[in-house]
Amino acid sequence: MAKISIDPITRLEGHGKIEIFLNDEGEVANTYLQIPELRGFEKFCEGRPVEELPRIVPRICGV
Amino acid sequence: MAKPKLALYWAAACGGCDVAVLDTNEKILEIAAFGDIVFWPIALDFKYHHVRAMEDKSIDLCLFNGAIRSTEQEEIAKLLRAKSKVLVAFGACACFGGIPGLANFTTREEILQRVYKEAPSNSNPEGTLPQVKTKVPEGELDLPDLFESVQTLEQVVPVEYFIPGCPPPSDLIVKVVDLYVTGKMPPVGSIVASDKTCCDECDRVKEEKKVARFYRPHEITTDPKKCLLEQGIICCGPATRGGCGMRCIKANMPCRGCFGPPAGVADQGAKMLSAIASIYQGDTPEAVNKMLDEVVDPAGTFYRFGLPDSMLKRKKVAKVQGK
Amino acid sequence: MSVRFEPRIVGFLCNWCSYSGADLAGTSRLKYPPNIDIIRVMCSGRVDPQFVLKAFQKGADGVLICGCHPGDCHYAEGNYKAARRVPLLKKMLAQMGIEEGRLQLEWVSASEGERFATVVNEMTERVRKLGPYNGNGRQ
Repeated sequence: MAKISIDPITRLEGHGKIEIFLNDEGEVANTYLQIPELRGFEKFCEGRPVEELPRIVPRICGV
Repeated sequence: MAKPKLALYWAAACGGCDVAVLDTNEKILEIAAFGDIVFWPIALDFKYHHVRAMEDKSIDLCLFNGAIRSTEQEEIAKLLRAKSKVLVAFGACACFGGIPGLANFTTREEILQRVYKEAPSNSNPEGTLPQVKTKVPEGELDLPDLFESVQTLEQVVPVEYFIPGCPPPSDLIVKVVDLYVTGKMPPVGSIVASDKTCCDECDRVKEEKKVARFYRPHEITTDPKKCLLEQGIICCGPATRGGCGMRCIKANMPCRGCFGPPAGVADQGAKMLSAIASIYQGDTPEAVNKMLDEVVDPAGTFYRFGLPDSMLKRKKVAKVQGK
Repeated sequence: MSVRFEPRIVGFLCNWCSYSGADLAGTSRLKYPPNIDIIRVMCSGRVDPQFVLKAFQKGADGVLICGCHPGDCHYAEGNYKAARRVPLLKKMLAQMGIEEGRLQLEWVSASEGERFATVVNEMTERVRKLGPYNGNGRQ
């Protein structure tokens, strides 16, 4: 199928790309949003002292 | 004469550096008048294919924030390096690895397991993990692959300048823009901040560095006029480059080192550890054990923003697949 | 025939006590393993943790720091600083996945030639059992 990629998505915080699949009539058959990033806060915060968390997790989103 | 072309990009980042640029307020209008911004995902709608179509070295100045931990981030770093005359590692993540660099205490596999399977708030009964290639009825989707480790920008491509900070303070950004516009940038390879430590610009009262015990924040109320380290709060000022205006200290919070190591220091965490051990008072094995109990997370605290930039770069794992 | 792993140990020895102790081991013809490369520093308190990390980076499998016994430091307090620095560094290295036993701090006086030989022997065998360093940051 023909595919239109919007990569990257813009004017928001974060990374993302959208793949739009078109059928033979040129209509949208399906659309997928993918997030091509992962930093792992859920894991690397483990083992840090609790008082450090308010200094670490704001860096999930600086906006 | 054509206006200079500017680009800003984020890799493993949070958006804070881009917001810091926007926080320069009226200066942003000057920047927009001075140059043409040809790529800036947070603010403008240019796509990767626009960048790929540019001629090499056609971007005059590229501010690159965020650490490198995926194949896409490495690819765009290399792309922007090829298209840019001057590439700046912007912010603590690009300079030293930053907070995402803490992932170097763990592994790619542990992260994937935690995020997609183990986390209590997950709803993922089939235990699906992200794949580089995924077949869907309409065709195929692809995602970048995660590296085992987080790297700084300089570990992936050559970099001309470094602007540290999490985020770089807006007044430092303004200063750098002025230097660039007037052609007065420091020598290539410079870290554009102070050459001294955070302690040097800290205006708190400093007497003698002799610490009888280290406190965790809930154990003590600190005097806002005196040096935090002298009061027993671990502050990374002695091993951190200055130039941030001591904004954390002013908020009564200890420095955590987001400006990276000062000039002449290869490993910020090791230097900070050395300072902590030096100032602690106690010559007996009991005193040493007491100190060990009081410094709860040395690696995490001393390498808060700079683990990928440290000499060991990451925690040793049994088998490192790829990078 | 498999080749036995020969660990490379870097030793930072303080000038006043432990380096002299090592010298004494030499002049007394005491045998100790050749696996150690000795670097003379003026005081065990001079040993910057960055030296230890650099040693691992550049090929060491183990790092031995030797200084004067507590109370005997030529500079009064240097060895006390080392006595605090090294355990804290060990704690941090453990968090970095580096096995206990690769970094060691020992007190060796100028008259303790035999002790030096024993210390190096024990360290070499301990690191031999641990195997090659194989950590990251190796250049």
